[in-house]
Amino acid sequence: MQGNGERNVPHSPATMRGVRSFFADTAHGSSKGRVCRGLSCHLARAADATTDESGLQPVYCLGYCDQSPVWMSPENYVVTGKAKIAPASSSVRALAPVPIVTARLSRGDHSPLQKARTAGAYQALATWLHKPLSASGRSSGSAALLATVTRSGEQGRGGAGFLTGEKWRATANIDTPDKFVIANGDEGDPGSYIDRLLLEYDPHAVLEGLALCAFAVGAARGVVYVRSEYPLALRRMQQAVAEATAAGILGPASADFPLAFDVEVVAGHGSYVCGEETALLNAIEGHRGEVRIRPPYPSAVGLHGQPTVVNNIETLVNIPWIAAHGAEAYRQLGTEHTPGTKAICLNSGFAQPGVVEVEFGTPLRSVIEVAGGGAKDGKSLLAVVLGGPMGSVVTPAQWDVPIDYTAMRAAGIALGHGGIVALSADTDIAAVIRHWLTFMVYESCGRCVPCRSGSREALRLAAEIATPADRAGLDSLLQMIALGSLCAFGRNTPAPIRQLLALLP
Amino acid sequence: MTQAKQPAANLRIDGQFVEFQAGDTLLQAARAAGLAQRIPTLCSRQGSAPDGGCGLCLVQVKEKDRPADSATVVRACATPAHADMDVLTQTEEIRASRRVTLRLMCTELSPQAATRLHGGGRHADDFWRLLREYDAWPTGASVSDNAACNTDSAHPYLRFDPDLCITCRRCLHTCEDLQGQFVFGIGDRGAATHLLIGAGDSFAGSDCVACGACVEECPTGALFDVDRMPGSPLAQELRAIRSTCGYCGVGCGIEVMVADDRIVRIDGAAESPVNHGHLCAKGRYAHGFQSSGDRLTTPLLRRAGRLEPVSWDEAIAWLADRLQTIRDAAGPDALGAMTSSRSTNEANYLLQKLFRTRIGTNNVDNCSRVCHASTALALSKVTGTGAASASYADIELARCIVVAGANPTEAHPVVGARIKQAVRRGARLIVIDPRRIELAEWADVHLAPRPGTNVALFNALAGALLDEGSLDQDYLDNRVDGLTELQAFLAQQDSALAAEICGVSAESVRAAARLIGAHAPTLFVTGLGLSELTQGTVSVMTLCNLALLTGSVGRPGGGMLPLRGQNNVQGNADMGALPDLFTGYQSIHAPEVREHVRTLWGVLPPEHPGLTIPGMMDAAADGRIRALWIQGEDVAQSDPNTTHVRNALSRLELLVVQELFMTDTAAFAHLVLPSAAALEQDGTFTNGERRIQRVRQSVPPPGNARADWSVVQAVANAMGAKWAYEDPAAVMDEIARAAPKLFGGISYARLGNEGLQWPCPTPEHPGTARVHADGFIRGRAQLVAVDYVPSPEQCGDDLPLLLITGRVLQHYNVGTMTRRTPNSELVPADLLEINPHDAQSAGVQSGSRVRVSSRYGSIEVEALISQRVEPGMLFLSFHFPESQTNVLTGPYRDPQSNCPEYKVTAVRIGSAGTFAKPRIQESVL
Repeated sequence: MQGNGERNVPHSPATMRGVRSFFADTAHGSSKGRVCRGLSCHLARAADATTDESGLQPVYCLGYCDQSPVWMSPENYVVTGKAKIAPASSSVRALAPVPIVTARLSRGDHSPLQKARTAGAYQALATWLHKPLSASGRSSGSAALLATVTRSGEQGRGGAGFLTGEKWRATANIDTPDKFVIANGDEGDPGSYIDRLLLEYDPHAVLEGLALCAFAVGAARGVVYVRSEYPLALRRMQQAVAEATAAGILGPASADFPLAFDVEVVAGHGSYVCGEETALLNAIEGHRGEVRIRPPYPSAVGLHGQPTVVNNIETLVNIPWIAAHGAEAYRQLGTEHTPGTKAICLNSGFAQPGVVEVEFGTPLRSVIEVAGGGAKDGKSLLAVVLGGPMGSVVTPAQWDVPIDYTAMRAAGIALGHGGIVALSADTDIAAVIRHWLTFMVYESCGRCVPCRSGSREALRLAAEIATPADRAGLDSLLQMIALGSLCAFGRNTPAPIRQLLALLP
Repeated sequence: MTQAKQPAANLRIDGQFVEFQAGDTLLQAARAAGLAQRIPTLCSRQGSAPDGGCGLCLVQVKEKDRPADSATVVRACATPAHADMDVLTQTEEIRASRRVTLRLMCTELSPQAATRLHGGGRHADDFWRLLREYDAWPTGASVSDNAACNTDSAHPYLRFDPDLCITCRRCLHTCEDLQGQFVFGIGDRGAATHLLIGAGDSFAGSDCVACGACVEECPTGALFDVDRMPGSPLAQELRAIRSTCGYCGVGCGIEVMVADDRIVRIDGAAESPVNHGHLCAKGRYAHGFQSSGDRLTTPLLRRAGRLEPVSWDEAIAWLADRLQTIRDAAGPDALGAMTSSRSTNEANYLLQKLFRTRIGTNNVDNCSRVCHASTALALSKVTGTGAASASYADIELARCIVVAGANPTEAHPVVGARIKQAVRRGARLIVIDPRRIELAEWADVHLAPRPGTNVALFNALAGALLDEGSLDQDYLDNRVDGLTELQAFLAQQDSALAAEICGVSAESVRAAARLIGAHAPTLFVTGLGLSELTQGTVSVMTLCNLALLTGSVGRPGGGMLPLRGQNNVQGNADMGALPDLFTGYQSIHAPEVREHVRTLWGVLPPEHPGLTIPGMMDAAADGRIRALWIQGEDVAQSDPNTTHVRNALSRLELLVVQELFMTDTAAFAHLVLPSAAALEQDGTFTNGERRIQRVRQSVPPPGNARADWSVVQAVANAMGAKWAYEDPAAVMDEIARAAPKLFGGISYARLGNEGLQWPCPTPEHPGTARVHADGFIRGRAQLVAVDYVPSPEQCGDDLPLLLITGRVLQHYNVGTMTRRTPNSELVPADLLEINPHDAQSAGVQSGSRVRVSSRYGSIEVEALISQRVEPGMLFLSFHFPESQTNVLTGPYRDPQSNCPEYKVTAVRIGSAGTFAKPRIQESVL
């Protein structure tokens, strides 16, 4: 990916226009506010389509799937439901014996530094930074932390399930002081909102995880990228960075925190694809948020061409716990293949929506039926959508699969970010298919033909899918889009749509 | 780049074993094996990173020792080749995928657009061929408004038909990765994604520099140009002639495409080591002058004050007679010749030989006198040869490039583009120029010295190198003299004072010195901003100090690379059109040289040096010179102090001019001889990296116009010589004998398409890319300790501004050629660049007519408010005769090289019409 972000190269009018027109906020931001078009809100509105939404900027999604439908005012206030009132606090529960991700979240707002520190924030960081150095300098502590994270077997929560320690090691092994660590706060998957809650109510957990990562890989600069659809998260994170810097935790090395680590908070401008790490790097550098071709991988050639670790928010929040309790304690939780816990988000289609932290290995069915209480209003469930638009449509027959990356992969199910949206028996599946394709057309970055033109053509075909022949035509096109697309968005979005097609009566 | 690639291993493509290099992608491996046809692609541009957008290069890959069902489908363009991969390119699934993808592209195109004839470059049929192969055709299924033809045709050359664009981005990658220009962007996203051009979706008004490279890459013909329009002659109707561009001294290889003795278009020669297929707005497009209706087509002889057509026989006989009569009456030194840097080596060689042997004078000079004479003299004194030590290929090898007093993106565009790409790949760039030229925006450090203060700045930089200890001590010990003296001299220099003289901060001097030192060997790219000053020669010598201190000269990626102005200005001097040197820079005084020349030419030329061009002008003005032969040069517009020049020309008893057009100079002539242009004759040009390249006749000259060399031969024979050169090749054979050390191995048979870089002393010698690699030609190089001396041309109370003159991209020299092409629509006039601050104080706006006055003259031009010039500074090009820019420039010259000071003139500005019109002698035609 060449472009105007290179050293010394001037910005050109066409490049600038291209960047502005790429992002929803700069291309067609609306002064009238935004309407969430996430799947959960789509379903909620389908049940009661009465509000006038003309002139509003569509957004996938605002991350209040437990309280659909929602809107955002021009002043960035979220309102929900028919009465358009402020949302209630989300329900956060833990079924896991030891809560990790939701440990502080379930006990209220820990965004003020003092409150977070009282609850234990930055203790693990301070401990690791004060471990005695080896003769060779910083390496012993960071190498040991890297080893601990690797041994813990933590896998990235962004969807791909890549081993966090491996990702860190690739960057740590490159001998340059000019490295970056990035917290990916672009949680775009409709149905998932755990990252929003963490950014808003426990931002110091994210920062502590990021600082530990910087220490382990030898980076001096960090970025927290927060999507513009999460304005409160952005504000809270900016406050958190300011407070932690003022307190000497971030910024130049201090006596209590002998780590030079500057963190910058960067706001997104409205693009689902930017959740993908290379697209996110482009967005931070001021380019169009298109994916980069790999290799090279960001671990070697990342932000501004430097080695870079990009970690998901929930992934980072696990790190202080692992650093404090050790790899073995972490491996006590979850399964052999997937240690630890996972925060699952249940949407408003469930009787008991909210966040549930479960041990890996917990059967999906128990989350749906026990934690979620099944579909609300006593309806029956046709299926659930697991893991957002690149996830899976999972029918009741498959619900006994354990929540576990390996087991689910074997069953052809993608966990994604771990959001679950209920599809009740009365859902208009054809409408959901068209909704899904509309999302794909809207969010495709436009780089590759199969995704760019294929999504539009698929949406055109989806207008008429009454007969098996029509469906076969659409299904075959979706298969080709998946085969020929350049990045995960185009490759993985067709699969759940095809699963929906199969559900059509 | 320097590392030779080792064959890595084999893989199989459709069962065929294919060898590949480590780091190759599957697509590269397939291309190298001649299997490119098996893997179609529309978005991949050779030389750019993979794009991946078109999705057509999908292949099925199975890695070694993995089960059959582990095969994956990948993009060949972006997948690294591994040993023992099994690659299938034609499976049913893959072909189906390609068909679907092509049909998806077709949903973006309207059927109406598809029925239009497609113009475009060499790839314009790629898309349509694939559609036929895979049974797809534009359906416009998703095009809402497909009726209108929306072609952008506001630009003089470039066209874009958005209805044929598949947004493959090859144009964008070409623009960025070849030209470094960033004209294109990608707008919107998803299905609405489309190509953007500049700020307003039209080439006109965008940053486009009309290099035309994007047209060559476009796979659908959506991009085309006026030479590659729908309906242009088909490939089979065209004849391609491999030649050399006749514009600047970069010397790009071109392929002239000809149909019916008419130039249809010009393509870049892909295999040329100079330009690798790239060209600029002049080389690719500005060929229309060749068939301009006002070409001179017959000799014109002045009779009763009027120029009248005469036959060649009459013209030649008349001229031979006049030359002999004046010689007999006033002595041989009353005659002089200026050989043309636009003409061929062969014409240059013969004209200086004619004057030296048939007339008996060394009054021969060439126009490098008024451009790079200072550079050549300085380099010769310091290293032993006046030409570039480095080659253009060193740009790609350099880790640090200093561009000093040169503006390559305008005056040497292909070199400018190569420098930009070097910077993008990580080379450090330091720009030394009073103006904020385009490359200054790309530079790590831009030093903007006051015009004429180079020596103070270069001494300060040398001092900083010494302070930083950034010396190559081994190199200095073994190869360079004068370090002790230079150190002693620099120790006495006051760096604060130097900074004040130059107007450059001491910090930025240190920053530049650190880069030069840390990334040596450093490449020094220089131009007329160094040489056209009263301290021109020492400007270059003190810059050479930096190159020698850092051990840069003769090293890969380092050395001196002066950019030569005209296509053959290097060759013109090489040929001996110099008043004190014979062919190949051999001294006219050296006894062994004189003996060699006498044997070869049969006549011994005089031993006293002749006059330089400014000297001949002075002598013409006071009557010592009575006859001048000017070959293809418009001195009445290009030489400084126009009033003086015109006065001198008007006093001549005989002025003969060989020209393409009736120039201001030709208007003074007694005999005008119509010349063949570069595309109309055979011969050679020598470019700025000493590369002698073939020029091949593509079309016949108009009317009775003749190649200069053959006219010179005819005149010589009419004067009693018995020259019998059958063709230019025979002349080159004699040149090789005349200066065997430099050219002994040169012959047309060896030049081929890539040419040879001199020195090339023997028929076996491969030519010399890098001079002084194994020791300096003069033995040891010489550091010089010279102090800054202010120019006598200084501002005063009534002349508060400093004027710099120079070129713009779209025009070439005095514009004789480019003004007769659509380049005049791109830039229709010389514009006076003025800083907003000065413009405000003078009440000047962009577009205002202003009067500019110097001590020597006064002109009216249009103003352009520009941040490129600092307050107190003006810039003006000299391309248009209407402007008469050189009415302003003065009489001062470098005392060593005799090169005039074009770059520093004290002026004032006022409203147009406030001063009397300049007294320019009206045409005597």
